[in-house]
Amino acid sequence: MQPLLDLLPHLLNGLTLGLLFALIALGFMLIVGVMEQINLAHGSLFALGAYVALVIVGPENLPEPLRAAWAAVPVGWRYVTALVFAPLLVAVVGMGIELCMRRTYGKDPLYGLLLTFGAAMVLEELIRVVWGTRDYVLPLPGDISGGFIFQGLIWSTYRFYAAAFAIAAILAVWLFIERTPYGAIIKAGAHDSEIVRALGINLSRLRLFVFALGTALAALAGIIMAPIWGIRPHVGVDAVVPAFLVIVLGGIGSFWGAVLAGIAVGLVVGLTGAYASEWSLLSMYLLLIAVVTFRARGLFGKKSVLEA
Amino acid sequence: MLAAPRTGLVTPAMLFAFALFASLPLWIGAVGLYPYLGVEILIWALYALSFNLLLGYTGLPSFGHGAYFGIGAYAFGLAQLNLAANLWICLAAALAAAAVAGALVAAFISHRRGIYYALMTICFGQVLWFIAIKAHAVTGGEDGLLKIARLPADFGVAAFDLSGNTSLYYFVFAIFALLAMALWRLVHSPFGRILQAIKQNETRATFVGYNVWLYKFSAFTISAALSGLCGGLFAMAQASAYPDVMSLHYSGYVVMMTLVGGGFVSFWGPVVGAATFFLARDVIGALTTSWMLWFGLLFMLVVLFRPEGLAGLWQDLRAGRFRPRAAARAGLLAILKR
Amino acid sequence: MALFEAERLHMRFGHRVVLEDISLAVEEGELAGIMGPNGAGKTTCFNVLTGRYRPTRGRVTFAGEDITGLPPYAIARKGVARSFQLMNLFNDFTARENAAVALPAMRARGFDMARDAAADPALAGAADAVLERVGLGGKGHVVAKNLSYGDRRALEIGVALAAVPRVLFLDEPTSGLGAEATARLAGLVKSLKGSVTMVIIEHDMAFLFGLADRISVIHWGQVIARGAPAELRENPWVRASNLGKLT
Repeated sequence: MQPLLDLLPHLLNGLTLGLLFALIALGFMLIVGVMEQINLAHGSLFALGAYVALVIVGPENLPEPLRAAWAAVPVGWRYVTALVFAPLLVAVVGMGIELCMRRTYGKDPLYGLLLTFGAAMVLEELIRVVWGTRDYVLPLPGDISGGFIFQGLIWSTYRFYAAAFAIAAILAVWLFIERTPYGAIIKAGAHDSEIVRALGINLSRLRLFVFALGTALAALAGIIMAPIWGIRPHVGVDAVVPAFLVIVLGGIGSFWGAVLAGIAVGLVVGLTGAYASEWSLLSMYLLLIAVVTFRARGLFGKKSVLEA
Repeated sequence: MLAAPRTGLVTPAMLFAFALFASLPLWIGAVGLYPYLGVEILIWALYALSFNLLLGYTGLPSFGHGAYFGIGAYAFGLAQLNLAANLWICLAAALAAAAVAGALVAAFISHRRGIYYALMTICFGQVLWFIAIKAHAVTGGEDGLLKIARLPADFGVAAFDLSGNTSLYYFVFAIFALLAMALWRLVHSPFGRILQAIKQNETRATFVGYNVWLYKFSAFTISAALSGLCGGLFAMAQASAYPDVMSLHYSGYVVMMTLVGGGFVSFWGPVVGAATFFLARDVIGALTTSWMLWFGLLFMLVVLFRPEGLAGLWQDLRAGRFRPRAAARAGLLAILKR
Repeated sequence: MALFEAERLHMRFGHRVVLEDISLAVEEGELAGIMGPNGAGKTTCFNVLTGRYRPTRGRVTFAGEDITGLPPYAIARKGVARSFQLMNLFNDFTARENAAVALPAMRARGFDMARDAAADPALAGAADAVLERVGLGGKGHVVAKNLSYGDRRALEIGVALAAVPRVLFLDEPTSGLGAEATARLAGLVKSLKGSVTMVIIEHDMAFLFGLADRISVIHWGQVIARGAPAELRENPWVRASNLGKLT
């Protein structure tokens, strides 16, 4: 029986994971709220974020004269550049997917499902073609990587920073949604798209923007998560599942509900890691099976677009 | 169609397909290909036909179907190594193991459809895949189960050695022909008709007196069982069973080939799709390692513009309903304008 | 003993009470009407009676048997059929296939996986007879989604009839129909009267008052009036409300 103190690093892991899950789920929730479809490719965009960050950080991807110059830049600055620009680039891909999805809007939801499933497959295959199936490591500035010993336990420095990044991102999203006019429009659009249209706002552009925002959040989460989960082509699925769990558990539309649910899921995964490390990710899948089996309408019983 | 003439046990399309496949070893070399490709195509064609029972006929998206294919493969190998080196017993084990797994999963998901259904199938698929990787002692872990032999087809009165690709091909063809005919009968039977009704309107099907849960459960179990049988054949064909086929990535293959081939509108669509998939792999794959990417893009295009797939295209051509490319371009513009 | 009886039905969704103490009794061969304003709970009442929802309280009895809470397919198999206000057809099936799938003969062979459904002329014949009855004779080969609105409405009822029900529930069958189609429908209902027990929700007063033996008025989840059409014409509530533009 593990002494409680030994669990602390795992709890931190779980909390960090949970905050990142919340970030992924927020992006997912924004999209689901304003659109009529679920995007199964959300996870692949998460994965793409990490890969694109890899490209930005690594000087070997640039032509010769720039390569030395970029390599001379401290890894910290390169990392920050990636953190800012990779999500933007991936957001462009996300917008492309939204454009494709438009044609499926009025139709049987099965088509939207198949399309985004196809997009997920294509993105994963794209990653395999470009980067191969080997594991990559995202270079981190020395200051935020590595570990330390405190109170006789081993702690990972990066987890703290990752949690901090995630909190900052979540707060930024909250500020945007709650305190800016654009955020208000998004909330209105999630609530009732007809009203938004009646107010003269271009619904298509709103959807496109929300999709881009949601994708950027997923990509950002992917970059932050990269040192924890590793960079492999099929991390995409592992990212979609917590997003679904969060909206099934917390309902679509509750910001803090999503954050809390995300943290809860993360803690489950983190704690499973304490007792059976190989099965920690699997706990997410089992949890989703259990939740959908017993309480599909979320703990708050609200009907959602998921009820097909 | 009820008013149509009685659907026979065999149809002209079926005879054509059978003739084509039966004669394959004779001409496959002449077109620059090889008999083993035929083996792969037939196994996956049957797998896709089983899969389409769910997707095309009942409207249920199973995105983790590779799990049952894989379970069948493992069951075949394990039966051979632990039970008896008898082809029939091993194939039966493949069928049974996949049926049991399918029934267990179906019990959890058959009251749903749509996104929840898809999600659950993905979750179960991942769980089963994960177990296959982790259970080293049973499954050989990531390396898989090796040294699975091609057991002879012993009919009592005669036994056929299947170690050669051509003889294996004929055996697989025989199974394919039998099961394709059985599936053809099934989709035209009352049971098949009710599945189609469920696809179109579950609510009405319930209120007309059908236990929709039970039908969805049965369809899934049958589909999983047959997929497992295909997995068993696959294990025998390539002398091994490994976890890859159970991954989400692989599960996506059967979805894509079924739809591209025209599973939504034609019984033979999945067969066309399987053939297209493997031909693309060999022909286009020889030119570029990213052939799979193009196939995936083709899949997305099919879902967007021609969900009736290749078989549907063929049907349209025959009925003179082919719409020129201008219409597709107009469709693309319409997307951007919305 | 009434053929179909609802005793003190109470239905609540979350905090919303939709049905409050609803009791109905339908005698065999009777045509019972249900009317009331939108949102009164009429369709919810139907849903409870046909098994879609389990009532929070109360009992539903059919031919003396308690069917409360049974799944819809089980209730349907006992001889209860319904049509829907928002049409629920098998859109890719032909009209004939729509009717055929509801036939008891088809239901009996539900798990037959070997025999050809098209090969049984009895099935096709029975389906055609149903189509003829609802005025779709000759249109059996038309795919349901290609039928005109009026024909789809007729098919909607046809599918329910094909099940050879003892009780037929029709939810706003004249919805969206013009005068001629409504008259045809009235003719069909009249021809069924006596042989099939019917419960009809309707907004079209003239239609309902001309056919029903007894009508229940539901408002805010309660039965506020009940009686033969002649009695209800005198009912002050019915007269005061703008429910009736009666001739």
